[in-house]
Amino acid sequence: MTTQTQHHLHSLLSSLHTTLKTPKPSSKPHSLTITSTSKNPSLSGRKLRAAVIGGGPAGSSAAETLAAAGIETFLFERSPSSSKPCGGAIPLCMLHEFSIPLHLIDRRVTHMKIVSPSNLTVDFGKTLKPHEFIAMLRREVLDSFLRSRAEASGASLISALVTHLEIPSSPTSPYVVHYTMNNSRRALAVDVVIGADGANSRVAKSINAGNYACAIAFQERIKLPDDKMAYYENLAEMYVGNDVSPDFYAWVFPKCDHVAVGTGTVCSKHDIKLYQRAIRERVSDKIKGGKVIKVEAHPIPEHPRPIRVRGRVALVGDAAGYVTKCSGEGIYFAAKSGKMCGEAIVRASEGGDRMINEDDLRREYLREWDAKYISTFRFLDLLQRVFYGNNAAREALVELCGDEYVQRMTFESYLYKRLAEGNRWEDAKMVLNTIGSLVRCQIVGREMEVLTV
Amino acid sequence: MASIAITASLQRACSSPHLTKKKQLQPRSMRSLDTKQATHVVTMDVEGQKGSKIAEKLEKSALHIDGPKNAEDKLKSGTDAEPFVPKFKDERWKNGTWDLNMFVKSGKMDWDGVIVAEARRRKFLELYPEAATNQEPVLFRSSIIPWWAWLMRSHLPEAELLNGRAAMVGFFMAYFVDALTGLDVVGQTGNFICKVGLFVTVIGIILLRRTQDFDNLRKLADEATFYDKQWQASWQDHNASTSALEKERRKA
Repeated sequence: MTTQTQHHLHSLLSSLHTTLKTPKPSSKPHSLTITSTSKNPSLSGRKLRAAVIGGGPAGSSAAETLAAAGIETFLFERSPSSSKPCGGAIPLCMLHEFSIPLHLIDRRVTHMKIVSPSNLTVDFGKTLKPHEFIAMLRREVLDSFLRSRAEASGASLISALVTHLEIPSSPTSPYVVHYTMNNSRRALAVDVVIGADGANSRVAKSINAGNYACAIAFQERIKLPDDKMAYYENLAEMYVGNDVSPDFYAWVFPKCDHVAVGTGTVCSKHDIKLYQRAIRERVSDKIKGGKVIKVEAHPIPEHPRPIRVRGRVALVGDAAGYVTKCSGEGIYFAAKSGKMCGEAIVRASEGGDRMINEDDLRREYLREWDAKYISTFRFLDLLQRVFYGNNAAREALVELCGDEYVQRMTFESYLYKRLAEGNRWEDAKMVLNTIGSLVRCQIVGREMEVLTV
Repeated sequence: MASIAITASLQRACSSPHLTKKKQLQPRSMRSLDTKQATHVVTMDVEGQKGSKIAEKLEKSALHIDGPKNAEDKLKSGTDAEPFVPKFKDERWKNGTWDLNMFVKSGKMDWDGVIVAEARRRKFLELYPEAATNQEPVLFRSSIIPWWAWLMRSHLPEAELLNGRAAMVGFFMAYFVDALTGLDVVGQTGNFICKVGLFVTVIGIILLRRTQDFDNLRKLADEATFYDKQWQASWQDHNASTSALEKERRKA
C-alpha cells in the first residue's frame, strides 16, 4: 500500500490511444425510447430501499451517499470492532474528498526507502512539500468513523452476518437479504443491493459474479524498542527481490506504536512463510529486539471480477476487485467506488423516487468508473509486469527511482490521483533512462546467469 | 551416559572435517576426565587417517578449553543454532561501491571487469540475501559505466549475427525477385513494393531472432491484453444478455 511509480507516464501512452476503449451499452434500434429516466416506474409513496452489505470504507461511503439523498439505507456489518490486516496507508486526496479528520491519523509518512535485491537503497520523498505526506491509520479507527458518519446521515446499521441473497424473478420484486443476528435468522426485502463485503464476497457468490485470482498478503506486527522505532518515525520501507516475493514486494510500515513487516505473492502462496522469513532476515538489523504481537493474512484481489453489476446488484471495493497492481492500493478505490455507486443510484432513481434497473447501474456507475480509472489500473498492471518480473528488472526499478523527476511524478500521481503535470522534455529523458536502466540490468542479468558463485 | 553421548557426537563430527565449531562445543559441555577417555576411544573407531588426525586436534583443543577466545566466539555462534550465512567479500568492493582504481588493466579502465564483478555480486546476493543495513549502504550505480562498454559487452556479437543474416536474406531475395520479375537490383531499389518488402524483412529478423522468440511474442501479446479482457468482461456479459433479451422480445 505504497506509492505507485511513474503513474503519469500514461499521459504519453494515452496520447497514443486515440480513443479510450470505453465500452458503450448496446443501443436498441427498434425501441421508441426517448433517453430520459421516465422509463423507470415511480415508487408510489415510498422511497427506494437499498441494502449495503459490508461496512468497510466502500460500504460506509456508499451508505452515506445513499442515506444523505433520502434513500432508505441498511448497512450490514458482521464484526464492527475487528481490525483488518491492512497496510492502512491512504493518499491525501482521500483526506480531502472524504473529509477525514486529521486526529485519526497515527503517522504521517514523509520518507520512503526502496531496497533492491542487491541492497541498493534509494530515498524517496525528497520532493515532498511540507504539507504532503502519506497518512497511516488504523483500519478499525477509520472504518468505525466512516460507519458512524453513515449512520449519522440516516443509514440503519445492522450488526449481522449476511448469509445469502435471494434473487427475484421479476424486475420489480425485491431482493431478500437473509442474515443472522443474535443467533436468529432474519430476512429483509430491498430494491437495490450494493455488495461491499470484501474479497470473499457472499453477494458476488449469490449473483454468480465469477471468481478472480487473489494474492495473499501476510504480515507480522512487531513491537520495537524505542530507539529502533525512532528510525521508523515517518519512514516506510519497501523491499523487492526474489527472496522476499516472486511477484510483489515486501514492506515495513510504521503503525501507531509498532511496525508491520509483511510480504505478498500471487503465484507461490504456499511459500509465503519462507518469504516472510526472508524479509525478516533482510531487516534483521533494524528490528532487532522486536517482539511479534500479531500475525495476520488476507487475500487481495488481483483484477476485477468478470461481472460487477447484475440485475439491481452492484459490487464495489474489494468485492469488485478494485485493487491496483504494483502497489496493492485498495482503500481509496474502495471508498471512491462506494461513493460513485451511491451517487449513480441516487441519480438514476431521482433521489429515491423511482425504481432502477441494471442498465442504469451500468450507465451511471460502471461506465463512469471505468472511464475514470481504467487507464490508471492498466498502467500499473503494465508497471508490475515490466518491473516485478525478475531481479534484473527490480534492480532497474530501484535505479530509476533515484531520479528526482520520477519521484515527484510518482508522489503527485499517488497523492492526488491525477495526472501530474509533466515537462515533455523531462518525460522524454525519463523514458530514455527507463530503457537504459532496463537494458543495463538485463545485460548484468545475462552475465549473472552464466556465472557460478 | 555422558560418554556415550559424546562418543556418538564426536564420531559424527569427525567424519565431516569442516564443522570445527560443533567439535569445540562438545568439549565445553563436558569438562570431566571422561572427555579425554572418550576421545581416545573414538580415535580407534574412526576410519581413515584424516579422522584420527582431527580427533587428535580435538584432544588438544579439549585441553585448552579455557584458553583462546576463538573457541568461545565459535561456541556462541554454535549455540545460536543459526545457519552460517556467508557475506559478500571482494577486495575491490569497498564501502558499498566498487573501487574503480582497482579495475585498471595496462593503463586502461577495464569496464568489462566492473560489469562481471557487479554481476558476480548480484548473483551472490541472490543466493545468500543479506540484511540491508544503514551502516554499510550500497552506493554503486551501474550508470557509472559508459554506454559504449555495455554495447561492446552484449550487443556487438548479436549485431554481427543479425547483420550477417540480413545480408544473406537480402542477397537471395534480390536474386529471386530478379529471376521472377526481371527487375535487377537497381530497379528493385526504386520499386515501392520491394522497399516495403525490405522493411518487413529487416523488422522480422530483428524481432524473430530465434524460433522461441515467436512464442515469446505471442505470450507477451496475450499477457498484455489479459488484464484488459478482465475489465471488459462485465461489458461482454451485458451485450450477451441484452441480445438474449431482444431475441425473447421478438419471439413474444
